[in-house]
Amino acid sequence: MGVSELEESSLLFDEKLLRFMDQLELLEEKRATLNSLIEQGWFSMSKARYSMGNKQVSALQYASEIEPMVFVHARTLDSGEVDFCTERVPPNRESGKDVRSIENIGPQDEGVRRRNKPKNNTTEKEANVQTGDDKAPEVSSVKKSDTNSQQDPLKWFGILVPQSLKQAQSSFKQVIDLSAEIATLQTSVLNIRQELKNSMKDKLTLQEKASGAKLDKAAD
Amino acid sequence: MAGRGKLIAVIGDEDTCTGFLLGGVGELNKNRKPNFLVVEKDTSIAEIEETFKSFLARNDIGIILINQFIAEMIRHAIDAHMQSIPAVLEIPSKEHPYDASKDSILRRAKGMFSADDFR
Repeated sequence: MGVSELEESSLLFDEKLLRFMDQLELLEEKRATLNSLIEQGWFSMSKARYSMGNKQVSALQYASEIEPMVFVHARTLDSGEVDFCTERVPPNRESGKDVRSIENIGPQDEGVRRRNKPKNNTTEKEANVQTGDDKAPEVSSVKKSDTNSQQDPLKWFGILVPQSLKQAQSSFKQVIDLSAEIATLQTSVLNIRQELKNSMKDKLTLQEKASGAKLDKAAD
Repeated sequence: MAGRGKLIAVIGDEDTCTGFLLGGVGELNKNRKPNFLVVEKDTSIAEIEETFKSFLARNDIGIILINQFIAEMIRHAIDAHMQSIPAVLEIPSKEHPYDASKDSILRRAKGMFSADDFR
């Protein structure tokens, strides 16, 4: 009876140990992916800095109002493990407008208008007033976008940012998703480790009992 | 606020923080308290530790990302944190690649077969 119980607990222990090793392997794999993605992100950021100027893309350019666009949901499972999953806030309609307004403004529009300057002074003034009027709603839309809570962090670093900065952003977005998975794996590894410790203790007590019973038999 | 998930906090060098903020994790709350700390050359260890502890105490933070070389400076505080939430993740930095043997979680996992565990 005691021996079968011991066998059972040994099997259970082995099962847990295998699960533990699997989780560790998975953790190591995800860690490697995370590290390479972060490196890729830094590389893209450095490329962006190379084209924008070395003082660009720095902490000094962070916005004065920062709203999170990613949230993590932590769910505690029955086994005691915690499952982390990320949720990205979808860009709202204001941010859609925002993008369009940013595409509309810029040096090209102004340049075109200046090139078509009329010769007449009075019409020139009128034209200036008109361009001023034209610009006014654009400026106000940009101001509106500043107050908009869901501003894309890319815009902190300029209106027309290089492609490499967008690549850096996408790398870091992947890193964020992966970090939630790694956090889940870490809690799972620690949880299984605790379970293993407990089963090991149980197994040791069962072994002691079994060896005690054997000795008793031998003495009889 | 109730339906909203938790935040991801970052303690790291400038490039790490900038990268993660680009990814959209940053927040400045009503009290203008950020969920990130940019560690520079003149940032003291006490300041880092205080920020880390304040992140642990905040219930709106689910994961804390920290550069491993900074984690090394406040290792005792990280080792003392045993709860699952917030989870602490050590990440590499530009100058210091990730070393699994220094990671708090992996060191705990590695210690599974030590004699202390079976006492």
